Amino acid sequence: MTELTPRPDDLGLTAAAKANVPIENQNAKSFFAQLQGFWVTFTTMFKKVTTVEYPEVKEPMAEGFHGRHQLNRYDDGLEKCIGCELCAWACPADAILVEGESNTEDARYSPGERYGKVYQINYLRCIFCGLCVEACPTRALTMTNEYELADDSRSKLIFEKEDLLAPLRSGALKPPHPMAEGKTHIDYYRGDITDIKND
Amino acid sequence: MTPEQALLETEVAIEMITVVIDGFEVTVPKGTLVIRAAEKLGIQIPRFCDHPLLKPAGACRQCLVDIEINGRAFPKPQASCTIPVENNMIVKTQLTSTVAEKAQEGIMEFLLINHPLDCAVCDKGGECPLQNQAMSTGRPESRFEGVKRTFEKPISISSQVLLDRERCVLCARCTRFSEEIAGDPFITLNERGALQQVGIYEKDPFESYYSGNTVQICPVGALTGTSYRFRARPFDLVSIDSACEHCASGCAMRTDIRRGKTLRRLAGDDPSVNEEWNCDKGRWAFKYLTNRERVTTPMIRGADGELHETSWPEAIAFAAAGLKDKRAGVLVGGRTTVEDAYGYSKFARVALGTNDIDFRARPHSDEETSFLSRVALNLKTTYKDIDVADQVVLLGFEPEEESPIVFLRIYKQVSKRALPVLSDAPFASRGSEKLGAVLISDLSKIANLTTKSVVIVGERLAETRGAFSSVYELINKSGAKLAWIPRRSGEPGALAAGAIPTLLPGGRPVTDPAARVDVAAAWSVESLPTSQGRSTSEILLALNVKNLDAVVIGGVDPLDISSTALTQLLNSFVVSLEISHSAITAVADVVLPVAAVIEKSGSYLDWQGSPRVFEKAIADSLSRSDVRILSMLADEMGSPINLPTVSATAREIASLGKWDGTPVAFEKSVSEKITELGEKLNLKSWRLLLDLGTLQGGEANLAGTARKASAHISKARAEKIGVKSGELISISSELGSLELPVEICEMADDLIWVPRNSIGSQVIANLGFVNGQVKVIKA
Amino acid sequence: MGLEEKLPAGFALTTVENLAGYMRKNSLWPATFGLACCAIEMMAFGGGRYDAARFGMEVFRASPRQADLMIVAGRVSNKMAPVLRQIYDQMAAPNWVIAMGACASSGGMFNNYAIVQGVDHIVPVDIYLPGCPPRPEMLMDAILKLHEHIGNEKLGVNREQIIREVEAAALAAKPTHQLNGLLS
Repeated sequence: MTELTPRPDDLGLTAAAKANVPIENQNAKSFFAQLQGFWVTFTTMFKKVTTVEYPEVKEPMAEGFHGRHQLNRYDDGLEKCIGCELCAWACPADAILVEGESNTEDARYSPGERYGKVYQINYLRCIFCGLCVEACPTRALTMTNEYELADDSRSKLIFEKEDLLAPLRSGALKPPHPMAEGKTHIDYYRGDITDIKND
Repeated sequence: MTPEQALLETEVAIEMITVVIDGFEVTVPKGTLVIRAAEKLGIQIPRFCDHPLLKPAGACRQCLVDIEINGRAFPKPQASCTIPVENNMIVKTQLTSTVAEKAQEGIMEFLLINHPLDCAVCDKGGECPLQNQAMSTGRPESRFEGVKRTFEKPISISSQVLLDRERCVLCARCTRFSEEIAGDPFITLNERGALQQVGIYEKDPFESYYSGNTVQICPVGALTGTSYRFRARPFDLVSIDSACEHCASGCAMRTDIRRGKTLRRLAGDDPSVNEEWNCDKGRWAFKYLTNRERVTTPMIRGADGELHETSWPEAIAFAAAGLKDKRAGVLVGGRTTVEDAYGYSKFARVALGTNDIDFRARPHSDEETSFLSRVALNLKTTYKDIDVADQVVLLGFEPEEESPIVFLRIYKQVSKRALPVLSDAPFASRGSEKLGAVLISDLSKIANLTTKSVVIVGERLAETRGAFSSVYELINKSGAKLAWIPRRSGEPGALAAGAIPTLLPGGRPVTDPAARVDVAAAWSVESLPTSQGRSTSEILLALNVKNLDAVVIGGVDPLDISSTALTQLLNSFVVSLEISHSAITAVADVVLPVAAVIEKSGSYLDWQGSPRVFEKAIADSLSRSDVRILSMLADEMGSPINLPTVSATAREIASLGKWDGTPVAFEKSVSEKITELGEKLNLKSWRLLLDLGTLQGGEANLAGTARKASAHISKARAEKIGVKSGELISISSELGSLELPVEICEMADDLIWVPRNSIGSQVIANLGFVNGQVKVIKA
Repeated sequence: MGLEEKLPAGFALTTVENLAGYMRKNSLWPATFGLACCAIEMMAFGGGRYDAARFGMEVFRASPRQADLMIVAGRVSNKMAPVLRQIYDQMAAPNWVIAMGACASSGGMFNNYAIVQGVDHIVPVDIYLPGCPPRPEMLMDAILKLHEHIGNEKLGVNREQIIREVEAAALAAKPTHQLNGLLS
């Protein structure tokens, strides 16, 4: 058994005081040190202000910022979403609900057989991780730079398909409407449809 | 039957064979396929066409393995799903043999050449054997650079099954199922080589009662159900084991729910009952719940004669006031769970003090009551007895229409060993034809009954006076096995729960003082009503003439009983426990909403008498089971039945047990004398599997495959009336008439058969009876 | 002071409302209530780059008595819930709550036994702010939206009227179990 070391009575300042060690006078050195400090403050007055003047000035977000989602359309207005629910599958927060439905000849919303009839994103669950965007096989779902989403009730923050769909470009037609003449969903997927002129 | 099952069933010693698979020894019965022997070791060989309940086909070639016998190797990899094990066989699967691995990868690549890359929209995506096995045994990259073959898609091969030919891998599971299991070869492989595809005959659409199973066993998304197409993906469904509520076959089921809504139902796996199959009705008829408007709030009929929504306490108080100290009866209906039926049974005895309770919402007889209470309750026949039967006799029972899984079991033995089947049907229906049934006009034609024979009686036997007595005699004489298979799922359970005028729960006769003491003690009541109660028709009659004042009605369609049933209710106080608005709620004084099957737990008894327990599929439902509501009602009436939950009820049923005293004697009835028909014909009918039944509502795709209604008469009769096949005839009684196209078949000249509840042929509503004499003329 | 609550409806009350709203919204003092990663963004909001002082809310008060805005920044575990409620109760009225980030608003991706599925189960929330975590800009946006609310807040009889209307609307609303999809 080892001997227990006796605990010293006190440490630190009190110990130093007891030891009666004189504290050095640093006046001569500290005068210049203080001037140096004032100089930093002084020069800062001529520097550019770093404060972001939000909301008056809204700086653009970095490229690839994860903001609100958007459901994209093909050039002629047909929806890219095929209702496959892979985004809902990928979602770690279970924030997406999709219900698919068959396109019919009378009511076609997307090229191919299937479209998303119900599309809801719960922004209070969404963690903006972008896994849904990665999962989307048709690039129907992407994220925008929009971030001003705060609202005062839970239900207002569940976005429906109409809220998420991209606006129609000029010349595009609001679905339902048939596919371009003689084109299949494969052509749409490859982007081989007649480009609608953007003005 | 797999060799393993054979081993269990026969006492003959089966030769065992030891093989080496991937270096591991395994001993299996002779005749076992290599792929199954590997499964036994936990080695999974990829496969598409192989299915344990179908005959080997070797169609997809995905299960290639390297095999060596007695030191001599096969020159090429062999399909392990077609080769039975042999002595001294050494098998190398993809795990140990590069040859097998390369072969399997090659086959996979070959299958994927023409398989479209539409997994994202395919219903099978996420639960697809092709997807999974392409990941586990396929090459990571495709070398195919051409254009994939495309077909027009989807084509509907019946109103409920869609076919995407480009997804098909030609495993022939669907065609083999249809031919071997269902006996409906309406679907085949057409063409050869690269053009080979699944197809249907031009004239016969794929109208099998079992077509849904092909969708379930399809290893790719080639066959999909119309009503489930694009509805959901497997990963957002919650699957619950459930039991089928449609008939007394007792299928194990799987119900897939998404956010409080049933999206599909699949056949569950129960080798002793439905194996892996079910019928289309069980699979697709679940929209009855969303079809009609649900009753969600209690309603009472006000002074203005209209129903008004109200609160639960108010509705219960109103119902209790109308029932307390009144002469009341209970009509349970044939679709309750055992627990709910027990609740009705106890409620009638304790709260209403009566034995006037009956579960039969259909034509019935006193002879049947006696048969049920004395005979049917103690039957021990099972599916297994059908498997080993030397003869099956069907009386008042059309298996394919009334209990499809019983049909599959009989058909299995018919196709395997030509099991003789007798039927008392008036003509050979499609089911009878498939079974090769010999039609008999009366019971005296039944010969050679042994103790291995199975006699199955259906509920329609009650419509023939004296029939149950003859069957009883026949069974007593021959010692043959007897089974009572009613059409509705709740009936065997309701009988056991004592929802019948002659019996208390557990088969205790109401007239036996010892039995009454037994039950009264368990229920903590002083006494129970002593006299035998009224049956369904007697209750309705008594209500009509004011011998009863009130009635509690469960899920009953008055048109299943008689054409006058609804009007007989009009003068009395009616308490209806219903899930949706119906003919009964339209006349009821109090409507109490109850839970539908997916919203409650409970159990059914199948016709074998074994319980089919199921749990709540929707956990957060606000609806309550019938038994809970009856318990609340009884509390309010001051005579509590103390059944607050389904599980408490199940416990009480279990603790009560079965009656072991002497049962009541069977009262025989004498057969009717055949009356002179003159120009009239004797009407015969039964319900088709797919018809206008309430529980099939809202599913147009299912209704699309229902068999068309037609009247069947003999050739001689047709000539006499002057009609040809397909022409319309008019069938009339004193109460009404109906018109149907004629179908000429082999049958007695004085009979006419029509479906009981199909489009254009609702016998009770149109003619007023199900068994009687009708006038038939050319329309 | 409580005097404003006693005023009769009319010109005087609306003027007082506007004045009180203007003053209240420009002198919000948040309680220091960082619970998780969102708190880092909340701190950034207090720093020089985003500068909370621009909105008259430079001091995050450690004492709830001196704060009138609770920014619930982060996931609230069930164990933390009573503490959060106590702090809310200790704040002097009028006080406001911002649920910052997915976790505070709805439980976010932590749909499990440990996390309160939305802080509105415990305290009334005025503004929900999505994001995981939200950028300081998003928090500023939420605060500005809250300012708008505060600026338009009613007093006295007008306030009682609003409360009655909200109550009536809530009673007539469809129960969530009857709603479809994510709304249920």
